[in-house]
Amino acid sequence: MNKIAAKAGSGATQAGRPARLSLADWMPKIVMAPTAVAAIVCIYGYMIWTAVLSFTNSRMLPTYKFVGFDQYERLFMNDRWMVALSNLGVFGGLFILICLFLGVMLAIFLDQKIRAEGAIRTIYLYPMAISFIVTGTAWKWLLNPTNGIEKMMIEFGFEDFRFNWLSDPDMVVYCLVIAAVWQASGFVMALFLAGLRGVDGEMIKAAQLDGASTFTTYRRIILPSLKPVFFSALVILSHIAIKSFDLVAALTNGGPGYSSDLPANFMYAHAFTRSQIGLGAASAMVMLGCVLAILIPYLYSELRGERHE
Amino acid sequence: MSNVAKRQTSGLDKVLRVALYVCLLGMATVYLAPFIVMLLTSLKDVEEIRSGTLLSLPSSLDFSAWSKAWNGACTGSQCEGMAPYFFNSFKIVIPAVAISTLLGALNGYVISHWKFKGSDLFFAALLVGCFIPFQVILLPMARTLGWLGIANTTTGLVMVHVVYGVAFTTLFFRNFYQSIPVELVKAARLDGAGFFTIFYRIILPVSTPIIVVTVIWQFTQIWNDFLFGVAFSGFDTQPVTVALNNLVNTSFGGKEYNVDMAAAIIAALPTLLVYVLAGKYFVRGLTAGAVKG
Amino acid sequence: MASLVIENVKKRYGETEILKGINISIEPGEFLILVGPSGCGKSTLMNSIAGLEDVSEGRILIGDKDVTFSSPKDRDIAMVFQSYALYPNMTVAANISFGLEMRKVPKEEREAEVQRVADMLQIGHLLKRKPAQLSGGQRQRVAMGRALARRPKMYLFDEPLSNLDAKLRVEMRTEIKKLHQKLGTTIVYVTHDQIEAMTLADRIAVMKDGEVQQLGTPQEIYDNPTNLFVAGFMGSPAMNFVPAKVVEQNGAYALELQATKPTVLPFPDQESLKSYLGKEVLLGLRPEMITEPQPHKEGANFVVKADIDVEVTEPMGADTMVLTRISGAEVNCRSNPAYPAKAGETIPMMFDTSKAVAFDPANGQRIDG
Ligand SMILES: Nc1ncnc2c1ncn2[C@@H]1O[C@H](COP(=O)(O)OP(=O)(O)OP(=O)(O)O)[C@@H](O)[C@H]1O
Ligand SMILES: [Mg+2]
Repeated sequence: MNKIAAKAGSGATQAGRPARLSLADWMPKIVMAPTAVAAIVCIYGYMIWTAVLSFTNSRMLPTYKFVGFDQYERLFMNDRWMVALSNLGVFGGLFILICLFLGVMLAIFLDQKIRAEGAIRTIYLYPMAISFIVTGTAWKWLLNPTNGIEKMMIEFGFEDFRFNWLSDPDMVVYCLVIAAVWQASGFVMALFLAGLRGVDGEMIKAAQLDGASTFTTYRRIILPSLKPVFFSALVILSHIAIKSFDLVAALTNGGPGYSSDLPANFMYAHAFTRSQIGLGAASAMVMLGCVLAILIPYLYSELRGERHE
Repeated sequence: MSNVAKRQTSGLDKVLRVALYVCLLGMATVYLAPFIVMLLTSLKDVEEIRSGTLLSLPSSLDFSAWSKAWNGACTGSQCEGMAPYFFNSFKIVIPAVAISTLLGALNGYVISHWKFKGSDLFFAALLVGCFIPFQVILLPMARTLGWLGIANTTTGLVMVHVVYGVAFTTLFFRNFYQSIPVELVKAARLDGAGFFTIFYRIILPVSTPIIVVTVIWQFTQIWNDFLFGVAFSGFDTQPVTVALNNLVNTSFGGKEYNVDMAAAIIAALPTLLVYVLAGKYFVRGLTAGAVKG
Repeated sequence: MASLVIENVKKRYGETEILKGINISIEPGEFLILVGPSGCGKSTLMNSIAGLEDVSEGRILIGDKDVTFSSPKDRDIAMVFQSYALYPNMTVAANISFGLEMRKVPKEEREAEVQRVADMLQIGHLLKRKPAQLSGGQRQRVAMGRALARRPKMYLFDEPLSNLDAKLRVEMRTEIKKLHQKLGTTIVYVTHDQIEAMTLADRIAVMKDGEVQQLGTPQEIYDNPTNLFVAGFMGSPAMNFVPAKVVEQNGAYALELQATKPTVLPFPDQESLKSYLGKEVLLGLRPEMITEPQPHKEGANFVVKADIDVEVTEPMGADTMVLTRISGAEVNCRSNPAYPAKAGETIPMMFDTSKAVAFDPANGQRIDG
């Protein structure tokens, strides 16, 4: 019996030593150190590095000859960049709006105690599991101007049906929208469905007792309470849009000409294949600016929200 | 109450419900169609593709496109099909997922249960890593990989995926561990357990759900990555997405859409399989990443 | 068994000071109860004793050894938490023996120890279950078992019974008391329950805003609270505070107040009132000291009969609380249920001031000579 007590107390021999000095107390910091170093270097360090490069006239290799805002000037004089930017506007805007609309609609529809809800949900969401490269490859075939949907519709009897957006410089950007919506709208649906399931059931019951119709209940009570989900979805979708690179690479490769380029592809092309490192860095910084313009208000409101709780 | 309402409006109600189902099933068809077309196309021969339409059925099941896509099709200058790159992807994904998940678990454990001055700041700083457009780190990372002598290697790609994946894994584990009461760790410390013992004996055994979510999330992210693959891989270390893109864009003679489609399905198969087998966790990962990420 | 000395311990989180210089010293085997309003720093103090949080200033000694900088595992302390904090993935037996395992006690001894503790707490039949399969009371027992198994120098209990229902709480209270008498180990125990505090404690420390207001035996705290806060905090219903004027009557200092008619009450501690002659003080009188007239006390020292206006009566079973207003302050009296007190009536009551205390209204401190 006493042996146990003695054993139990044996650890106490180290008592009196300041905790700060023992390895055990440093453990949390040691464990976190690799990630901290990686984050500081590979996120913040590299951001600064890219910022520095964007002020140099680096071409094939980084040089550190500073040229002020020359690269940014060149960038915004560059027709291809302006096309990429306006494509991003069109693509991003439509992509986000349609995804939100479809996502909300499908989520509400699925929320009506649907039979086989699980199976339908699975079908809506599976595109999110696959790579944008696969999506691009598939839609490239579906939208093929001669052999794709056009031919199918003609066979169905619509003799005059024409669908050649993929080869039309003015319309090709909408092909990107179609493919991207196909891939991501199910995810928005899943977000909203989760949100709907989290809405307080008693609140809905109270509204119905007050005589509100199903439609009114959704419009006035449920959807307003999903504001945070809207916000998250908006941020994620714009993030996907700004980063979109693989979809363009697989679906249009920027063509015809450079009519379907997005900033991400512009950046990659100039930095890695066209030996215009300075210009590529400048375009990357503009992209970062776009993301921050969306992110900072979002994080600000999130943090404020947390403090309010 | 709802019974009364139902009795009064049952006629209209029925029509509405039918319309609802038509709408939902119609959309389901739209979502399913591309995959069905891919599958049908991959089973036809070139002649059938030219004469038929997207949805016409193949006259006989012809798997030659599949075998060509697997080990014969040309991806750039090589003509070995998707097989080597398929395995390349696994060589990248497995270590990258394992390391980033482990690091994320440890970080999340520290952030929620061993707070120190600056640990919250660190977490906030790390979160930014979930959001930055990776274009902004491509150039410096390429230089760094060169200096370290791991440019164009699998090791290099694994490192890149770990560095930029750990922000997400940390977020996942942190949110999960936040719900484990701090008293549990306090009790274990009084019982004499140290940092790693508590992690291994107390925390890890209850972490299975979040480990599953994180592994699935990381697996899909890294498997589906194209940007890092195309920027940092060499000819013989390309992941499957890069190979697929090369295969589709390599055109000697006629376009072989059946081979393209078979290759695309091959590239999508692992993540689709994960989604079908563990869809619940996949969705949880997506939404968990979305809540704060 | 070990003594505990807490010397001028301060704890800051950033700018805010949570503990503002705590001084407590307890003997080996003593049972100390910490009470105080929510957020006053009780848990923080417990965590500091256990080493789960570093203190910003001051020293902590356990059994004469300075442990201010030792890690929790070296302090040889066991703690029972309000939430129990049982390891969810381990069986009850594993929960109990975990601490021994960490201290590398051989397996046979661990098993014997688990058996001993299980017998003591009558949880032998639960050993193979997981915490999720236990009721609240059973979890509480297991949490105690886990603390007992290591035979530490000291136990810390942070509101261990507050998640139990009233009946179980009374049962467990008795068991804890028995355990303490049997083991004789030093215990520091946080509770919000007045009765727990009074029945279990050797001494009670009343805390407020990170400071110890008073440290003393339950009876001292009850009878001689040092200030208005302690007086009002301990006891239920709380002590009555009545504004009263110090007057001289028959050569002694007494207190004049306004019941139905002006009434003068004698006061035991004459010395203390000397410098307050003619001034207002707050008379502190516990409800049980204002009762229906009791013939056997008639004529005793410090007993005065006076009329009061009954405002409300609250039957509580054993007693009936009679609410009235004296000198403008609401006053609780404790009367026999048989005594016919009715709201709106004026009835005689008996004031016993033998244990009355007086407070300086300016600073809330008790007036003593
Ligand atoms: N990590 C922390 N950072 C900042 N303030 C803290 C922290 N932990 C506790 N506090 C503050 O310290 C004060 C004391 O907390 P503590 O938990 O010790 O109170 P308590 O007396 O145990 O209350 P209760 O009776 O409700 O358990 C509270 O005001 C609390 O907000
Ligand atoms: Mg507390």
